[in-house]
Amino acid sequence: MNKPEELDQRHEVLWPLSRRAVEDRPLAPRLPDLNGKTVCELWDVIFRGETIYPLVREYIRARFPRVKFVEYSEFGNFYGPHGDSITEELPAKLRAHGADAAIVGIGA
Amino acid sequence: MLRAAALVEKLGIPTASIVGSGFLKQAEVVAKGLGLPLAWGVYPGAPMVDSEEELRRKVDESLAPGLLRGLTEVNPVEIVRSAAEPEPMSVVFSGNLDEIEEHYYRQLWTDGLPIIPPTRRRVEAFLRYTERDPNDVIRVLPQESREATILSIAVNGVMAGCRPEYMPVLIAVVEAMADREFHIEHAGSTPGWEPLVIVSGPIIKALDFNYGQGVMRVGRQANTSIGRFVRLYLRNICGYRIPPGAGDKGSIGFTFNVALAEDEDTAREIGWPTYGMDQGFEPTDSVVTVRSVVAITPPTYSGGARAIDHVQQFADVMGATFRYWSHTGMKRGFWHPLVVVGPSIARVIAGEWSKNDVRRYLWENVTVTAERATHYARMTSTPTFSLERLVAEGVLPAEYAASSDPQRLIRVFIHEAMTGILIAGDPGRNQSRGYMGNHDQGVPVSKRVVLPRNWTNLLRNTHV
Repeated sequence: MNKPEELDQRHEVLWPLSRRAVEDRPLAPRLPDLNGKTVCELWDVIFRGETIYPLVREYIRARFPRVKFVEYSEFGNFYGPHGDSITEELPAKLRAHGADAAIVGIGA
Repeated sequence: MLRAAALVEKLGIPTASIVGSGFLKQAEVVAKGLGLPLAWGVYPGAPMVDSEEELRRKVDESLAPGLLRGLTEVNPVEIVRSAAEPEPMSVVFSGNLDEIEEHYYRQLWTDGLPIIPPTRRRVEAFLRYTERDPNDVIRVLPQESREATILSIAVNGVMAGCRPEYMPVLIAVVEAMADREFHIEHAGSTPGWEPLVIVSGPIIKALDFNYGQGVMRVGRQANTSIGRFVRLYLRNICGYRIPPGAGDKGSIGFTFNVALAEDEDTAREIGWPTYGMDQGFEPTDSVVTVRSVVAITPPTYSGGARAIDHVQQFADVMGATFRYWSHTGMKRGFWHPLVVVGPSIARVIAGEWSKNDVRRYLWENVTVTAERATHYARMTSTPTFSLERLVAEGVLPAEYAASSDPQRLIRVFIHEAMTGILIAGDPGRNQSRGYMGNHDQGVPVSKRVVLPRNWTNLLRNTHV
C-alpha cells in the first residue's frame, strides 16, 4: 500500500499528443448559380447511394433546371478494390468531364 | 470519403459530401485533420433501415438542401484556425497521482484505466532504447494529421505501462500501423476491428512474452501493455475516441488485443516455418506484424492422430464464424484469416501436412452459397452487391460466377495463400482458434524490430 506521502508526491507530466502537421486552408469558391454548371458524383458504393443520388439530382434540377450531372458510374468506386488507382485518376477525369462541382458520398 | 472530397477541393472544385447524422462527429474530426472546413448535407439516421418513402422524405427535407447549400453558399464555413497546442516534450500538468489520472481522463487522453504518469525522466528512459531522434517523424497519421514521432511513442508507451525496453517493439508497431498498406485511416470504421500485434523471433524470449497457456489473456506485462499501447496510440495520435470523444465509429467494438507471440520452439521441433519466416524474415530476426481482427472463432477443440481430424475441425468452426463476414473480403478480392494452432495439434498435423496443405484444405472446403453471401452484403451496406460484377471487374476469380444458380457454393477463403498460421497456446490441451481480418482494413504489415547497439547492456539495467 502506498504511504500518504507517496500519494501526495507531485509529478510534472508531458503532453501525450503530437504536433498537427496540416495547414488549415479555405474551401474552393462556391457556385451561387448551378445553371449551366457540371456537377460530378463520386460514390463509395455503400449506403443506398443508388437510390439517394437520383433523388438528389431531382431536387437540384428542380431549382437549377440547366444543371448537368455526370453520374457516379463514370468515376468508379474510390473506396473499392481499385480505389487507389481510381483516386489517382480522379483529377484528370474531373477535368475531362468539365467538373464545376462535386457531390461525394456516403459516410465520413 | 471526406478524403476524396478534400482532394477535389484542392483542385479548386467545390464539393458537398453526404454524411449520415451518426457520422457527423467523426466527420468533424476528419475534416479538421484534413485542414478543410468541408461542406456536407446530413442524412438523418441510418439509410439501411429506412423505407423508400422515409428515405425520400429525408433526402428532400434534410440531405439535398444541405448539399445544395454546401455547393452554392459562398464559403459556408470560413477557415477555423485550430487552437494553439503545447509543444512536444512540454509539461502540460503538474499534480499528484490522482490529479494526473483525473486530468488526463478529462482531456480524453486515457482509456479509463490508470496510467503511469509520463514524466520527463520516464520518457527519457524509453528513449535510451532507440538510436533514433525523438523528433523523427514516421508518418503524419490520419485522422487528426498528427506526427507519429519517436517521442510520442515513448510518452504513450510510458502511459500504457510498458517497460522502457519494449521501446524497439513499440516503434516497429507504429511503423507497421503507419504503413499505407495497413490503412490506419479506417481504424475507426463501424465494424470496430482491433489491431493485433504478432511478435516473432528472439525478442519473444528477451522480453518475456507469453506464447503458451493463456497467451491472449491480460496478465503478462509485455503482451498486455503493448496491446494497450496500441489502443492509446490510436486514441492520442490518430484521434480514435469513443464518446464523449469522437472519431471512433466502432458501433459496438471489443476491447484491445494483447500482443500475440508464437511458440517458435514447437515450430522448429516439428519442422514448420515460424510465422515470422512466413512473412519473409530470417529466424534470427525479431519482427512485429500488425493486422486487424474483426471476429474470433469459439475455442476450437479437435482430437485424433491424423492431420485431417484437426484441419477438418478448423474448416467447420472457421466456416461457421467467418462465412457471414466474408462478403466484405469478396468486395475487395482478399481478406486475411489467421489460425492460431495449439502446440499439441500442430505436432499431429505436421506429422503429415505442411502449412500449405492446411491452407489448401481450408481454401477448398470452406464455402458459402452465393445467395447467402449476396444477402449478407446487401444487409450490411451494399444493396448493389453482385458477384457477377466483381468477377467482371477482375476483383474475384471467374469461379465465383461459374453459374447463375444462387445455391452454388463459393469459397470463403478467396486465395489459397491468404491464411496465416501460427503456433501458440496451451501445450497441455487440444485447442486452436481462428482470427478474421477486416478485408483491406488492417492488412498484415510486418516490420523488423531494430535494437540499439548497446541493447545487451541496457537490458541488464531495466529499472527506471
